[in-house]
Amino acid sequence: MANFWNLVRNENMKIYRRIATWIMMGFIVLVPILLTVLFAIFSEGKQPNNWEMMTLETQILFQLITIFTVVKAAESVAGEFTMGTIKLLLIRPWSRSSILLSKFISVVLFALFFSLVSFAVTWLINVIVFGYSAHPAGLIPPNSPLSDASPWAYVLMAYLDQFIALVVIVTFGFMLSSAFRSSGLAIGLSIFLLLSGNLVSGLLAMADKPWVKFVLFPHLGLTSYLDGGSPVPNYPTTYGFSLAVLAVYFLIFNLVSWTVFTKRDVAG
Amino acid sequence: MSQAPVVRLQDVSKRIGSRTIIDRLTLEVNPGEVFGFLGPNGSGKTTTIRMMVGLITMSGGDISIAGHSVKSAFPQAISRVGAIVENPEMYKFLTGYQNLVHFARMNRNITKQRIDEVIELVGLQGRIHDKVKKYSLGMRQRLGVAQAILHRPSLLILDEPTNGLDPAGIRELRDYLRRLSREEGTAVFVSSHLLSEMELMCDRVAIIQKGQLIDIRSLRGEQTEASQTMEEVLFEVDHPDTAIGVLEGRGAPNVTEGGFTITADRETIADLNRRLVLAGVRVYAIRAKIKSLEDQFLEVTGGETVG
Repeated sequence: MANFWNLVRNENMKIYRRIATWIMMGFIVLVPILLTVLFAIFSEGKQPNNWEMMTLETQILFQLITIFTVVKAAESVAGEFTMGTIKLLLIRPWSRSSILLSKFISVVLFALFFSLVSFAVTWLINVIVFGYSAHPAGLIPPNSPLSDASPWAYVLMAYLDQFIALVVIVTFGFMLSSAFRSSGLAIGLSIFLLLSGNLVSGLLAMADKPWVKFVLFPHLGLTSYLDGGSPVPNYPTTYGFSLAVLAVYFLIFNLVSWTVFTKRDVAG
Repeated sequence: MSQAPVVRLQDVSKRIGSRTIIDRLTLEVNPGEVFGFLGPNGSGKTTTIRMMVGLITMSGGDISIAGHSVKSAFPQAISRVGAIVENPEMYKFLTGYQNLVHFARMNRNITKQRIDEVIELVGLQGRIHDKVKKYSLGMRQRLGVAQAILHRPSLLILDEPTNGLDPAGIRELRDYLRRLSREEGTAVFVSSHLLSEMELMCDRVAIIQKGQLIDIRSLRGEQTEASQTMEEVLFEVDHPDTAIGVLEGRGAPNVTEGGFTITADRETIADLNRRLVLAGVRVYAIRAKIKSLEDQFLEVTGGETVG
């Protein structure tokens, strides 16, 4: 057998040789620059510190990165079916599991790459415009478990939390993409999952039943722990509990993708 | 060259629900042989090919390629196969070269030299660094062949390879397949519904209809020993009715427009001709009606086009 890394290289080639990928990258770079510059020009009086602005922009960027990654996940699996190339891809000396795994890895690497770029751009542009503050006031809420920590720790933790939620949503999109072989449906439903989190959490709060703790939506808002809260309002949970719930959903989604992708016939 | 078959299909079946798409298909393809897989549309050709390359599962039976079962040893079996299943769909946003690199990486030991060699073989040198979306159908077909032979497979599977090719392209493909089977001992498995094309290309053909194997016949080396075999001959004559009378009940002639047909061996034909001429019947032509594969095909499939 050839080297498994070759499969990931192939998937990477199919992602980065597309112009659309670099247009997405353009958004990730330009949006924070534009926001910071506009803010600096039009805000009168008190200027925010670099960390506050960075956190705000990061929240917007993560929505974008999630959507972009879901699009790539859908292209990666369903796209091969629509293009018909799946027939050439699966008749190689590799198991379908390896092919699927290489696709998943390349998609997560894509998200990681975009997150790193987003971190670098938001950090740089805000330090350039607003200057670096070592002890920013108003960044970390007083009841946060990280209230005594450095702004670096707080921001990195926020990145990690949002990245974890992103991976779960992308896994969901990946599952739909391999189950329905339709990228439109996968992208649409994943964006619904991304955007309806708060709404559904609100509805669940009204339901007031113990099982709401196990519903996926609220736990995607991991950052609420950072600000001293908890994602399910009436049923306080711990950070570890939320991670465990996300892990279970992550495993289920992957199990479904894998089962469907490896077992189903590729016909017509 | 070993004479063990490259592919062996043993009682291969495919059922979807209660419908049987492929029914206990058994056949073998030998090294260096161009094997045609002939059947009307919907007879199960593509389904069989998809089972051979593992794209769909079998409901019964097994397929072995170079001794490895497609079911239980898929990577080993498929590593000996190169295939184009239906249209040669490549990554359109990549160049032809990048497509080949992509597929080369999925096999062991394909060097850059081998890629260049294959590009030259299919004659794509000039355009290989263009994006595939700019390729014509014929060029995509060539690229499809290139990806299929990169790893020097023992078995090349082509599903309707002449679809969309112009006559020159078809001829080129045919010559190329013949060379591949002769020089490298590659077995070629071609499906088609284009009968005349198969006649020119194949050593043997299997005919299937409604998922069942109807016949396997050889297309080479059967035109010898003609003197002893009975063949159907057409006599073109001026007065068929008079001619029939002259025959005095020999054979079982059928009157057709401007003549009659009769089944007879070589000597009898000469004899009949002499009788006709002596009886004053003008004989314009005597032609052997060699059945084309098309006639044979229509005969065994009962002339149906959709099974």
